[in-house]
Amino acid sequence: MPLKNKIEELKKRKEEVLQGGGEQAVAKQVAMGKLTARERIIALLDEDSFNEYDMFVEHDARDFGMDGKVLHGDGVIIGTGTIFGAPVAIYAQDFTVAGGSLGSMHARKITKIMDYALRMRIPLIGINDSGGARIQEGVNSLAGYGEIFWRNTLSSGIIPQISVILGPCAGGAVYSPALTDFVFVVDKISKMFITGPEVIKSVLGEEISQEDLGGAKVHAQITGNAHFYAESEYECFEQIKKLITYIPWNNTRKARRFEPKEPKVNFNIEDIVPGDPKESYDVRDVIRAIADDSDFFEIQEKWAANIVIGFGRLNGETVGFVANQPLVMAGVLDVDSSDKAARFVRYCNAFNIPLVTLVDLPGYLPGIDQEHAGVIRHGAKLLYAYSEATVPKMTVILRKAYGGGYIAMSSRHLRADFVFAWPSAEIAVMGPEGAANIIFRKEIAEAPDPEAMRRQKVEEYKEKFANPYVAAAKGYIDTVIEPSETRKLLLHALEVSSTKVADRPFKKHGIPPF
Amino acid sequence: MIHPKLDDKNVTAFIPGTIIDVKVKKGQEVKQGDVLVILDAMKMHNRLIAPSAGKVKEVNVKPGDRVSKGALLVSIE
Repeated sequence: MPLKNKIEELKKRKEEVLQGGGEQAVAKQVAMGKLTARERIIALLDEDSFNEYDMFVEHDARDFGMDGKVLHGDGVIIGTGTIFGAPVAIYAQDFTVAGGSLGSMHARKITKIMDYALRMRIPLIGINDSGGARIQEGVNSLAGYGEIFWRNTLSSGIIPQISVILGPCAGGAVYSPALTDFVFVVDKISKMFITGPEVIKSVLGEEISQEDLGGAKVHAQITGNAHFYAESEYECFEQIKKLITYIPWNNTRKARRFEPKEPKVNFNIEDIVPGDPKESYDVRDVIRAIADDSDFFEIQEKWAANIVIGFGRLNGETVGFVANQPLVMAGVLDVDSSDKAARFVRYCNAFNIPLVTLVDLPGYLPGIDQEHAGVIRHGAKLLYAYSEATVPKMTVILRKAYGGGYIAMSSRHLRADFVFAWPSAEIAVMGPEGAANIIFRKEIAEAPDPEAMRRQKVEEYKEKFANPYVAAAKGYIDTVIEPSETRKLLLHALEVSSTKVADRPFKKHGIPPF
Repeated sequence: MIHPKLDDKNVTAFIPGTIIDVKVKKGQEVKQGDVLVILDAMKMHNRLIAPSAGKVKEVNVKPGDRVSKGALLVSIE
C-alpha cells in the first residue's frame, strides 16, 4: 500500500475516534448544557497547542458483553498543550463514551499523562465528567482509581494539580479532586458526592436532589471542597487560565514575573480602615490598595469568608495574601477559616510564593459548637502551616490582634520575617473589656459604683495596652508604619528576602493536625 | 431543608450579641447587600446584609435586643 493510502487510513481512524460517543450521545451532552470533552480542551488551551496521545487505546474488558464493543479512546482524552505559553498536561473524561466511566485502560491513560506531568514537572489539569467506575470491569476499575490517587499524592507539592468538575464526579472518583490543589466547579453542571441521592434515600430514607446534595454552590459555600465557582464553563476556563499565570510550573521554580504596576488610585489605603475598631470594612480593599494594578485573585470566596485568601502581585512577583475579613463574622478564626487559611499557606510554601498576612481579628470564635467541632485541632493547622512555612513571610497588623489570634496570624513568634503594625494596631493578650474584668475583678467588685469602676479600668487598659507600642518595645513587631507606607515596605521586604535561608532539621515529614 | 449557608431569605445571628441598629422596616424593598441590622458582638458592629433582593417580610428585633446565636433577625420574601 502506498504511503499516501496509509496516511488516508490514519486520517479515517482519527476521524472515527473524534466522533466520541457518536451523534446521539453528543446531542445528549449538549442538551445537558455541557461542552464535549474536546471542546473543553480546545477552549481552555492556547490555540492549536493541544496534542493528543493514546487516541487509539481500546478497552480490554471481556465480560458482560463488553467483548467487541468499541469505546473511542476508552472515554478519556489525554495530551499536552499550553496556557499563555505555560506547558500543561491535561486529561478530560468524555461523558459521551460510556458515560465517561472509568475502566482499566481509561485509568491507564490518565495515569500515563499524570506520570508525564510529574516527570516533566509541569502542571496537571484533570477535567472530570464521569458516571463513575465501569461496573463491567469490576475490581480493575477500583485499581484504576487507586493508581490515580497514589499519583495525586506523589505529585502533591511538586507540580500544581488542578481539577475541573464538569459533570458528575461521584463515589471514589471524588477523591482525586480532593487530593489536588484547586477544584473548579460550574453552576448546575458540577455534581460531587460520595453517595448519591438514591443510596441516601434507600439507606436513610432522606430525600435530596443531586444539586442540593453536591452541586457547585454546595461545594463553593458549604463544604469548602471547591476553590473556584463559575456560572458557565467558559467563565471557569478563564479562571483556570488566570490561576496558571499566578503559579509556577513546579516547586523548583518561581511564578512568572509580570511587569510591575502601581495600584489604582481609587483604592486609597488611608480611607479604607475606620478609626473606630468596632466599625467593619472590606479587607479586600486593603489588598487592592497594596497589590499591583489593584488585582486580587480570590480563592474560596464564598466559603469561610471570615478569612480572605488569594493571589496578587507585588512588584510583578506573585504573593499569597491571607487576611482576616472584619466584614464577615467580625473576622474571627473558627474551624473552617483556620482550615482554609492553613491549606493556602502550605500551598504557597510548597510553590515558593511569599506570604503577606493582614491582621485584624477579635480572636477565635467562642461557642459550644466550635469547641465540639474541634476548633482546637483545626485552629492548630494554621499555627502549624505558618510555623512550617519557609517562604518570605510579611505580616501587617492593621487593627486588632488579640490573644491566640495574634499568635496564629503569622506572628514574629511563628517566624514571620517582617512584622509591621499600623498606628491603629491593638496588640494585647485579650480585648480591653475582657482583660479589665479579670485583672481588676476585686477593685471593680469592691468599688462603691462597680460599673463606673469597670468603665474606668477598661479605659485605663485601652490606653496602656490597646496599641502597637507595647509589642514594639519588645521587638515583636519591627516597626510601626503609616498605612500609606505599607506597599513600599512590603516591596522592600520582598526585595531583601529573595535570598532567604531558613534551614530546618531533617524529617521525613511532620504530623500536622489534619 | 435548605442549608443555612445557602439560605438567601433569612438572616440570623452568627453569634449572641446586642442589636444596636435596625435599618429596615417590614414591607420595604431591599437590594442584595443592603445593611439590614447591626449586631454588636465579638468587639465589632457587625453589618448583617441582605443575602438577596426582595421585600422585607419580617423584622424580629429592635435596637437594644439581646439575641441568641441562630436567632432569626430579618426575613425577606
